[in-house]
Amino acid sequence: MLTAPTLAQIESIVHGRIRAVLAERVGEVARLSGTDKLSATLGLSSLDLAFVVAELEAELGVDPFAKLVSITSVRSVGDLVRAYQQALFPELERSGDEHAVAAAVRRAQTRRTRRKRR
Amino acid sequence: MPQARKVALVSGGSRGLGAQLVSGFLDRHYQVATLSRTKTTFITKMLRARKGQHFHWGAVDGRDHEALRAFVKDVGDRLGRIDVLVNNAGIAMEGILPTMRMRDIVEAVEVNLTAALVLAQACSRFMLRQGCGCIVNISSVHAIRGHSGVAVYSATKAALDGLTRSLARELGPRQIRVNSVAPGYFDSDMVSDMAEEQKRRIARRTPLGRLARIDDVANAVHFLTSDQASFITGQTLVVDGGITC
Repeated sequence: MLTAPTLAQIESIVHGRIRAVLAERVGEVARLSGTDKLSATLGLSSLDLAFVVAELEAELGVDPFAKLVSITSVRSVGDLVRAYQQALFPELERSGDEHAVAAAVRRAQTRRTRRKRR
Repeated sequence: MPQARKVALVSGGSRGLGAQLVSGFLDRHYQVATLSRTKTTFITKMLRARKGQHFHWGAVDGRDHEALRAFVKDVGDRLGRIDVLVNNAGIAMEGILPTMRMRDIVEAVEVNLTAALVLAQACSRFMLRQGCGCIVNISSVHAIRGHSGVAVYSATKAALDGLTRSLARELGPRQIRVNSVAPGYFDSDMVSDMAEEQKRRIARRTPLGRLARIDDVANAVHFLTSDQASFITGQTLVVDGGITC
């Protein structure tokens, strides 16, 4: 991506990649919920998930599972979305309330924009 | 429209079997990327002859996981794909286990096994996205038969064969094949210190009556990475003139 994605964009990108895999298998999937279980609800295999992770690494430039997060802790669509949000905005993990999170996201985005300008 | 060249990544391509594989893949119209700790005469010659065309080299220490990953990413991003990985880099570690230095044991595991795992993981990301690919791990007859003085080396090579079988199952559904080639003794730096009499003894015990040539081993790799082997995965192809049969 040319500019840093927002939290909502990250969610949309992750959902898009999951939907693309599901579309190959069962046809179009209208909507995903954060609580959908990747395996139990959606029927994704470990290899499907690895494919999604490879695609997301290419698109977002990060792999949260290299060091930060264990892939075995990812059960739901929401877990996967959060792993990428935390990889791109490390402040999220340390911040509790919503205002702090929003401020952390703004700071991270400002830093990214500055880095890109340099 | 001409078809884009396939991309082969060979670890340890600066000498011996690795250099032979690099030349072989170039002859087969691949783009070839290789990594080694040092720039040998072979690498210098190839860089000069190819002028950056279809041949890429990186100075990478196999113990440096981040550098291995970065090399794969750079190759994949620049060349657009990775079709073949040959995990060839390895070190011979001789000596009986009870008296071997711990740092030598760790180094053998790092270079012979962990580096192969890191490269396979990084390359498989590209192969998953492509929906095809081929990995060949260079194992050894020492993975199959026990010999005194090579316990650590044998352990790393047997582990590679285990990797081959399980990874073949993991990646098969995405049309990625994984195989091993297990050479017997062949003319390489690894046997250069061996006494002539010992080489003659091995040749006498070998049904085909000689040590392997590097070509014998390289040809097996090229076969496994070719379309002629498109239904072969999870196997160890032993290239030893029959010494383990």
